[in-house]
Amino acid sequence: MDIGHYTLVGFAKSFGLFYLLALAAAALLYACWPANRTRFDKAARDIIEDEDKPWR
Amino acid sequence: MVSGLTVSERQWSMAILVIVAFVGLAMAAAGANRADPMQAHGFIVLLFSLAVFCFVLRDYYQPEPAAARLASYYDDPSKAGIVVAMLWAVFGMFIGDWVAWLLAFPDLTFDAAWSSFGRLRPAHTTGVIFGFGGNALIATSFHVMQRTSRARLPDQFSPWFVLVGYNLFCLLAISGYFLGITQSKEYAEPEWYADIWLVIVWVVYLVLYLRTLARRKEPHIYVANWYYLAFILVVAILHVVNNLAVPASFAGAKSYSLFSGVQDAMTQWWYGHNAVAFFLTAGFLGMLYYYLPKRAGRPIYSYRMSIIGFWGITFFYMWAGSHHLHYTALPQWVQTLGMTFSVMLLVPSWIAAANALLTLNGAWDKVRDDATLRFMMMAAVFYGLSTFEGSFMAIRSVNALSHYTDWTIGHVHAGAMGWVALITFGSIYAVVPWLWKRERMYSPVLVEVHFWLALAGTLIYVFAMWNSGIIQGLMWRTYNDSGTLTYSFLDTMVAMHPYYVARAIGGLLFLLGAIVGCYNIWMTIRRPSELPAASGDIPLPVNLQPAE
Amino acid sequence: MFGTHYRIERKSIALAVTIMIVASIGGLIEIAPLFTIDDTVESDPSMRVYTPLELAGRNIYMREGCYACHSQMVRTLQDEVERYGPYSLAVESKYDHPMLWGSKRTGPDLARLGGKYSDQWHTAHLKNPRDVVPQSIMPRYKWLSESQLQTKHLGDDLRALRAVGVPYTDAMIENASDDAVAQASPDDDTAGLTKRYGDATQIRSFDGDKATVSEMDALVAYLQILGKLSDAAHQPPPPKE
Repeated sequence: MDIGHYTLVGFAKSFGLFYLLALAAAALLYACWPANRTRFDKAARDIIEDEDKPWR
Repeated sequence: MVSGLTVSERQWSMAILVIVAFVGLAMAAAGANRADPMQAHGFIVLLFSLAVFCFVLRDYYQPEPAAARLASYYDDPSKAGIVVAMLWAVFGMFIGDWVAWLLAFPDLTFDAAWSSFGRLRPAHTTGVIFGFGGNALIATSFHVMQRTSRARLPDQFSPWFVLVGYNLFCLLAISGYFLGITQSKEYAEPEWYADIWLVIVWVVYLVLYLRTLARRKEPHIYVANWYYLAFILVVAILHVVNNLAVPASFAGAKSYSLFSGVQDAMTQWWYGHNAVAFFLTAGFLGMLYYYLPKRAGRPIYSYRMSIIGFWGITFFYMWAGSHHLHYTALPQWVQTLGMTFSVMLLVPSWIAAANALLTLNGAWDKVRDDATLRFMMMAAVFYGLSTFEGSFMAIRSVNALSHYTDWTIGHVHAGAMGWVALITFGSIYAVVPWLWKRERMYSPVLVEVHFWLALAGTLIYVFAMWNSGIIQGLMWRTYNDSGTLTYSFLDTMVAMHPYYVARAIGGLLFLLGAIVGCYNIWMTIRRPSELPAASGDIPLPVNLQPAE
Repeated sequence: MFGTHYRIERKSIALAVTIMIVASIGGLIEIAPLFTIDDTVESDPSMRVYTPLELAGRNIYMREGCYACHSQMVRTLQDEVERYGPYSLAVESKYDHPMLWGSKRTGPDLARLGGKYSDQWHTAHLKNPRDVVPQSIMPRYKWLSESQLQTKHLGDDLRALRAVGVPYTDAMIENASDDAVAQASPDDDTAGLTKRYGDATQIRSFDGDKATVSEMDALVAYLQILGKLSDAAHQPPPPKE
């Protein structure tokens, strides 16, 4: 294999960190995006105020 | 149950069962030819499929179900799944307590191969994790995905295929250990043909889940489904990768894993730890995020937190497996990576635990009066405790002491009994009256009895193992003044005896609780419903019964 | 109608795909470099493979679930090295499909067990551990001496292992059943066995009963080879780069 062990380890260590940061940012942005608020609140409430029947 | 199927669904079932029966026959013949234990498994597959075939055949000529059924959810597989889960619970916990006694009194067994500790132990782990946990997850996921999507299951055949097929897998796994068929990979012991069968079942499960979601009313997918979906998907990845193997012969049970040594160790514990994450955590968080708000009658405290926690768990857990291999021949950078992510894992874990407990804020009177809700509350507490303990034990210097000792066993059982089993019992006590259209469980007092038996059992178990683990870990590394090791291995083992007895007693209480639960569920099902037939999906708006 | 349906379906599949990607990357990044590990791990060209009898013993070890209570991994901690012997190296389990490092020590570590006790001790201990160690909590494995070892298909096992990377030769695969019997039958012709597996191969009746090759023979043969496939762990550590 052309790619050596140390290259792969180096990639794992550096890329892993950036990937982690990017992912955390994406998840936080999605969760806290103001426009999503109403949708989330509705989803949380909807399971409590159940309808009795499937709609299809 | 069969009469609820359409004629074409009945025909499908019978066709599949005939195919499976032939596969079983072929396995039996091939195994017999080589004097291989696969022969016995072939007969088990054959008998299993013939038994189910007869069951379908018995009601084959019943009239087709009325079209009115499409106006309500399809719950027969959920009902069956919950009953089966409770049976597996009693079986798995009985074997577990038996092996616990064996560690204190090693001759409490038959002088036969099948009943020795090494064969019973995987029967315990598979029985409780896959038998009890897996069936509970499948049964509740069918219930939850229909309600949160407001959609009926797209067909009536595939849920039965998933449930019955999955239990055939469990049966093959456990009977295999007794017969001496095992890959020896912890929590992935079943051999290659059982693994292939599980893949087939799992693909049908995933497709069923996605088809149901595709029928949903609201564009947004409720977060409980995210967790169930992650459970299905990631368990599929883990299962396939960790079980890659080359069979010695297609006519025999034995196979050799594709990986060896250090790669195999990393793959195995990447699997092992993520089985904890996605089988024993993600799926059960799905349960928590539906049944807890539902039972408490309050929406989840923070929907945002549940989403952040979800991505945190999905991402972090995958890196944490190498903390099972500290100070081994695994390269140190992988160990460090595993430790770092294991510590960070505390954040999404505690977000989930806090979210559950904060949901109950303002409803503590209900927690006091309602043992079902208390099961769920206590599960969230144990989830928080055991994830903290897990992150702590992943630290290299702590792990140097804890690894190979009973501390690990204590930690696992704090999670398995305290979190997984308690949330499952809580969810089952909530859902049984809803499914069978009863006003409440047969006896709220027995729910209360079960709660205290389970809690006492867990605490005795965990404290015993904390003590024995830490004592043994310390004894192993104790030096005397002349600079040599003070204790022989045997000394440290003899010192464990009282804790092993205590642990077995704790396990016995937990088992008794599960038996009480079975009785209560059985009586709830048997007692005729006093409710009018036209009452809704949930008979009463969570009418909480005081324990007395 | 079809449009909205399609859109919704797309969303759930997008969620599924995202979960798969997010979850896979951790495992990939962590595990992938381990497959180039040959660059860094100590190598031992003299390392030998399990003989068919030892392999059969190893399979019995797995069948009986011995790994549930015994580890085969001495960690790099002082007390472990003093208690069990040199710490385990990656190369030592290179041919272990799967590895048996274990996760719990209800009994002691076995990585350095080979040669520590006599065959007679092992046989007596496996028949009833409490005959030899009164406080032991190990199960009895009495039936192992009574069951004859199945050697007929061992060639298939070797062939499967070769497929996953263990360097078994054609001659080894062809003679697997005979070699298994020969290793436990010192009075037979064992020249072929030593030619294929080396002069250090331990040839004797491990359970003391020369008449038959039992599962006890195989298991004891395996226990006696533990830690002895390679002596890399006993070498002085290589100088640091």
